[in-house]
Amino acid sequence: MTHLQDPTSKGIWAVRIAGILLLVYTFVITFGVPLGPGIEDVHVTALERDGQQAQFELVLQGHATHFDDATTRVFLKRDNHLISATQIRSAGADVLSCLVTLPTAVPAASFDVYVNGKVDGTISYANGFFAAGLDVVEGAPLNRDEGTLDNLYDGDLGFHFPFQPNIMESIRNLMLHVPMWFTMFLLMGISFAQSIRTLRLGGDSGRDLKAVSSVKVGLWFGVLGLLTGSLWARFTWGAWWVDDPQLNGAFVTVMVYAGYLALRGSVQDTKLRARLAAVYNLFGFCLLVVLLMVLPRFTESLHPGKGGNPAFSSYDLDSALRAAFYPAVLGWMILGTWMYAVQLRIERWRTHRAEAQLSKACVPLGMLLVTPTSTSGLDRVFMVDGKMPVVTGVAVIILVGLAIWWVRALNTLNTMKETTSNTPTT
Amino acid sequence: MRETWFLFRHFWQADLKAQHGIAGLVLFAVCTVYAAYQVVQGRPEPETWNALAWVILLFTAFNGVSRTLEEDRREVLAYLRTTVQPLHYMLARTLHNVIVLSGLACLVLGFMGLLMGSADLSVSRLIGFALGMMLTAVALGTTLTLLALIAARAGSGFGLTAVLGLPLVLPIVLVSTSLGADLLSGVLLADTWHNFAFLGALAAGSGVFGAVLFPYLWRDA
Repeated sequence: MTHLQDPTSKGIWAVRIAGILLLVYTFVITFGVPLGPGIEDVHVTALERDGQQAQFELVLQGHATHFDDATTRVFLKRDNHLISATQIRSAGADVLSCLVTLPTAVPAASFDVYVNGKVDGTISYANGFFAAGLDVVEGAPLNRDEGTLDNLYDGDLGFHFPFQPNIMESIRNLMLHVPMWFTMFLLMGISFAQSIRTLRLGGDSGRDLKAVSSVKVGLWFGVLGLLTGSLWARFTWGAWWVDDPQLNGAFVTVMVYAGYLALRGSVQDTKLRARLAAVYNLFGFCLLVVLLMVLPRFTESLHPGKGGNPAFSSYDLDSALRAAFYPAVLGWMILGTWMYAVQLRIERWRTHRAEAQLSKACVPLGMLLVTPTSTSGLDRVFMVDGKMPVVTGVAVIILVGLAIWWVRALNTLNTMKETTSNTPTT
Repeated sequence: MRETWFLFRHFWQADLKAQHGIAGLVLFAVCTVYAAYQVVQGRPEPETWNALAWVILLFTAFNGVSRTLEEDRREVLAYLRTTVQPLHYMLARTLHNVIVLSGLACLVLGFMGLLMGSADLSVSRLIGFALGMMLTAVALGTTLTLLALIAARAGSGFGLTAVLGLPLVLPIVLVSTSLGADLLSGVLLADTWHNFAFLGALAAGSGVFGAVLFPYLWRDA
């Protein structure tokens, strides 16, 4: 009964413990590190206008800002035009109001709004000010406050995540949602390699079991990636699902591997099943590479990293995010390979059982298809606090998903132990 | 090469002998177009027309390839297994499917034009569209042949082919719908040329893959 013994060596346990520690670090840093300051919204009200001058009141809604700092300054900027705001009043740390005065003829229709302070440094809101009711005249003169740019504060913030408009606090999902896909790809890669060896050895069932185990665990991560992505999309793009090459690719990936399990379910002969499944797996994996890596680059996409949309890495995967993201990926991957090892033990035991049941392809796809018709009420729950509840929701989905997996796996492992101890050994 | 040619002729003759084979496919294609015509009630918008054309082609293709192994009688198949090289069998099968599907693609397009108009396509664009459809049929043929052979070896029929095949033909469908949309919206032919190249590459890629992997399905050992 060698297949029932856990062959795990001490070195592997060390890696696993390191993985757990990495995940603990990931969760601590994901929820513990503060978000940098940023401007959520700018409200502009036109005030009275006298002759050549127009006055506007700006109300800035900040997130994680320190507007109550006395050094806070506000100015509008477009190219090299610069207008300082006056009468800056803060109503708390994250609300600020000020006045700007402009000539009725301005050189540009919209300006970016900048705030500078001793604590926050410089933060901005693109096109926050639109010159409604003013004449846009090419090359119109505009007084430049030359001195303003010379003595700006650099900011005095500790370790923090970068603020992105619209994404806000939900940038923390980078450490939760994205590694799901990395882990899935690692597991599908393992399965791909094992399928090649299955075919090389003419339908070797040992290799085949490795392939199916990693697909099952990878599929679990894929479904968690879809669910968490769907939640994140709802509160950044406004819909649970959008027609997007990256999302289609992700969905099709899950479908292909569900098909892989369906194919296995319909063949009884072990050797034939190993060969058929391996052929399908190789074929499927290669088409997925085309679908996920090649085609999306030729189409426009909302999703970062694809199409006309730059990846996080190109402009805002800053040092803080790197320090959290890479350990997170490594931690999730170690967990994934650990789950693969557990699944492999279970699969081996199943094939050795006399009454080998057909393993069911248990994919909670139904959950994906059930989207509530009216979800506007959810905005009040998820959009508060800089979308922090989205991060919590994503974490809960992942933790619940993985907890379900581990409870099932541990139950099966228990059954394995019971059945082996009950078997008479002669 | 002779063996491939011989097998191809054999499949073709088997098709002609069992009259329901080809006739069934033609009937399926015609009925699907007619059903679509009834559903959209007359002449649809170009976008709808485009979508219908590709969906009908997809269904016809699935129906077309799913007969792949059914029509070989057991004894004939057993004989072929012992005498024919798998690569030659695969090539002949793929060639046969590709030709049948290309014919069906033309039929679908012609019948759609008859019932639902040609979505105001000029003649040169219509030829481009027909070429795109045939190229798609080739790509679908090479991809689905392997999947139908897997499903046939697994001992199940149409259902499993669809489950295995639908996700995997999605790249082809994505490329060909964007090709069709480009042609219908009046984009210059030169600007949508890359879509033709994509389709060709997908067809060639899955053809090569099928040829490499098929021998593993063929052997019984």
